[in-house]
Amino acid sequence: MTSPRERPAWGAIVPFLLPATVFYLGLTAYPVIRTVWNSVHEVLPRREAYVGGAHYVELWADDTFWRAVRNTVTWALVAPFLEVSIALLLALALYARVPAARILRIAWFTPVLMSYVVVGIVWMWIYNYDWGAANAILRAVGLGHWAQPWLGTTDTALPALIVVTTWMWTGFNMVVLLAALHALPTEVIEAAELDRCGWGAKLTRVMVPLILPTILNLLVLSFVGKMKIFDLVWITTKGGPLWSTETVSTYVYKRAFEWSTFDLGYPSAIATVWFVIVMSFVAVLTWMVRRQQKLEY
Amino acid sequence: MWGRVLARAAVMLVIVLWTMFAAGPFLWVATISLRTTSEFMAAPYALPETWRFDKFATAWTGSGYDTYFTNSILVVFSAVAIVTAVGAMAAHALARYRFPGNRLVYLLIFSTIVLPPQITVIALFQTLAKLGLYDTRVGLTLVYAAVQLPLTVYILESFFARIPADLFDAARIDGYSEWATFWKVAFPVAMPAIATVVILNTILLWNEFLYAVVLIADDARRTLPLGIQKFMGDQLEDYGMIATGLMIAIVPVVLIYAIFSEKLIQGMTAGAVK
Amino acid sequence: MTPRRAMPGCALAAVLAAAALAAPAASQEITLWSHWAAEQPKRQFIEEAIRRFEAAHPGVTVRATWYEKNALYAALRTALRAGQGPDVFYAEPDQVEYVQNGFLLDLSQGIDWANVEPWAREIWTHGGKPYGLPLEAWTVELYVNTRLLSELGWQMPANLQFTHGQLLEIVRKARERNIVPISAGVGDRPFPGAFLTHETLLMRLGRVDYGRLLKGEIRWDDPRVVESLRAVRALVEARAFPPGVATLQLGQSHVYFHTNPGTVFFPMGSWYTSRAFNPPDQGGQPADFPLGILRMPAPDNAACPTCRTIAVGGSYVINAASRHPDKAKAFLNAFTTPEMGALWLQNVMVQTGIKADVGMVTGPRAGYFRDLAAANEGSEYFFGIPLQILQGRARDTFTQVVNTAFISGQVTVEEVVRQMNAAMGAR
Repeated sequence: MTSPRERPAWGAIVPFLLPATVFYLGLTAYPVIRTVWNSVHEVLPRREAYVGGAHYVELWADDTFWRAVRNTVTWALVAPFLEVSIALLLALALYARVPAARILRIAWFTPVLMSYVVVGIVWMWIYNYDWGAANAILRAVGLGHWAQPWLGTTDTALPALIVVTTWMWTGFNMVVLLAALHALPTEVIEAAELDRCGWGAKLTRVMVPLILPTILNLLVLSFVGKMKIFDLVWITTKGGPLWSTETVSTYVYKRAFEWSTFDLGYPSAIATVWFVIVMSFVAVLTWMVRRQQKLEY
Repeated sequence: MWGRVLARAAVMLVIVLWTMFAAGPFLWVATISLRTTSEFMAAPYALPETWRFDKFATAWTGSGYDTYFTNSILVVFSAVAIVTAVGAMAAHALARYRFPGNRLVYLLIFSTIVLPPQITVIALFQTLAKLGLYDTRVGLTLVYAAVQLPLTVYILESFFARIPADLFDAARIDGYSEWATFWKVAFPVAMPAIATVVILNTILLWNEFLYAVVLIADDARRTLPLGIQKFMGDQLEDYGMIATGLMIAIVPVVLIYAIFSEKLIQGMTAGAVK
Repeated sequence: MTPRRAMPGCALAAVLAAAALAAPAASQEITLWSHWAAEQPKRQFIEEAIRRFEAAHPGVTVRATWYEKNALYAALRTALRAGQGPDVFYAEPDQVEYVQNGFLLDLSQGIDWANVEPWAREIWTHGGKPYGLPLEAWTVELYVNTRLLSELGWQMPANLQFTHGQLLEIVRKARERNIVPISAGVGDRPFPGAFLTHETLLMRLGRVDYGRLLKGEIRWDDPRVVESLRAVRALVEARAFPPGVATLQLGQSHVYFHTNPGTVFFPMGSWYTSRAFNPPDQGGQPADFPLGILRMPAPDNAACPTCRTIAVGGSYVINAASRHPDKAKAFLNAFTTPEMGALWLQNVMVQTGIKADVGMVTGPRAGYFRDLAAANEGSEYFFGIPLQILQGRARDTFTQVVNTAFISGQVTVEEVVRQMNAAMGAR
């Protein structure tokens, strides 16, 4: 289906690519290169000194960094799975033609329309120990002894935040999956029905394989989003209690802006390492997606 | 037969539960926004006895929301227009022409989607300050366009790549220049995907916070998320008023989505996000 | 605003407009970036100073931009780094990195230091030069609901100080009657949960050794430190703090203390007033609230039971890159008069680094200042809370461990000692 790419026609290519290149070089590539350069320097406002790999050596022994890595990777592995599987369930439900589908779709999508500032405030209220909805529901059904300060306990803070991102992003994933389902060629579905496939078989053998590329793409997108997550943590817990919700992004930000130092070298080293890690993950995942798509054609 | 009914009931149950979970927080905030803080503290989950719509007027006038709204609209809409044009041109070039380094350019642009913004924001700031664009809406607009460029190119490239080559051949035979081919053939064909990126970018930028905090200083140039944060600070523990402020921030986006959701779905159905 | 009040403003605006028309080239603008966007009394005080300054210096205007603290710090860090930023800005004395990196103007000359408290100037002095004008000063107090206290069968002690043993008894008694004993809000602030702990450490160790502890010269496994931590831990185990303390926010903790559900004690900076004296529907205490002020409880074997912390908070500094340093200094001098000091006390109800006579405070809140003075009588001050002294990893660990995890019962004394020793060594 892919249209064959044509011979180089530089006269056409250059004007098309030029504006994007200017934006990219000035406002994206330069900051990135600057970050890598920073990572091997001590970068103070009026003094920049080459320190070689010193920041990287320090990073290797930095417990907080590794804890942040553990938290972020946990988040980035658990959340996409939750979001996409629940979204698939919901998309199939809507695909089965329930009443008021359009309203449901808007209701489910609403969370993703809110900024993290808003979401953070609302969920801090929901998790409030004294009058928050989470504990209110537990008390109402007689499970009051389970009531907790959900964001204030080391064991529950990270899961509680994963619930928030799942709440926020499932609707988005659902809309995309539903679109993919509706885009399926009707002949295939009809053929499956003629073959007297059971509903379950139709689902697992025909529909899911067909939208697998979409599913994988969504997993990658969600994964990348969680590897960068910052705003929500910053507004709700600032990485606490006891670093149990510290993510790599919040730690970078703390080291760059919160600790009483103007040095940008060390946080840049964290950012560089993280960039490489995330890129390799994404490269592998994209390669898998591409391979899957090739099989499809 | 009974199995069918049972399955149907299970589906409905899932739908009802998720709808309560997804919409519950929003509805809760909506009720709080119409009540005073003392009413709320007395019974956090009660419905409003008197519907205090005047709180919205109070929140609006007492907070400078009109300024923040205007700024958000100016910045976000210009940025989206720029990034759509620039991104579509680049995506078209990458999808259509074979040239050395094509995939490298694509990969480079794509790779920056995963970049944590917290650190590059410093270098961005330095660049803007050098250009005299720090603390200006133009500066923020350009940065927003740059930030959303990778995602835009990524989505549009995959769509443009699936436009049949025959279409372009026909255009060439009709005597269209490359430039005209893009604007008159490729761009209109790609409208579903364009609509999708426009809506996505609008939503994402409308809620953007970090760059705005760092790149805007003057109160007269602040965007809505900064305004919300300031409003929160002003209200201290006045939950009722905070909820009103939250609703003012949420409702326009929800409305935009409710109106344009069909377009977004069409774009996606046509394979924009694949 | 009443018409009568609006008049001087209009007159001033007319004068300014005339001045601007007469000599457009001579008009100068000083930019000010300040915290306190939400704290009306402080903001009104600053705006009053601006009015007075502009009236005394025709042709010079001050353009103020108000921020929330975190947004201000983020904006300043980037702006200063690029050699930009406002002429005058808000800073706190723990931000030594500003001084170290040469961002602040040396204020030795041109400021009327005679009207500034010497100790407050000392806190801003580095290498013999002062860098900041200390507007806000505050002490750590133990606020108390005297009605609840007497319901539990206790009276305010004559010396305004309980012992740790007495406090523990009150805590247990309160718990028996289902009253939460002590409120604290650490959800959005890195320091209020540590007040009780660091004041206990200060009294047990004395000023000198407490200072050495914070400099890393005394280890956290010192028996006196462990003993102090155990005293606080005993309160935690007696469930002295609210069950949701780890996420209770600063503003919420105020309401928790004085309104709903109401606690007996509230360890807080003396800027308690900036929230509590708001109207009740804006988070303020009820009109008839029986507020008392105590010293923090004294531990057994205290080396210095009269020791307590005083800190300088919000201050104004001048950007080293300012193009109008003399005008900026003149602006700071608008604050350094006894009248402005008194106006600060009167409006803001917090202490100040400007010399001011407490006796000049009149009006309905004068009684509050008498109570505050009584609780502070004979005190020996240590300057700065730990957060203003610790840096880097030690500061981060102190915040996470002592401020939050310790009082919410999530770490033991041994764990606090281990973590703090590791963090102090890591610096």
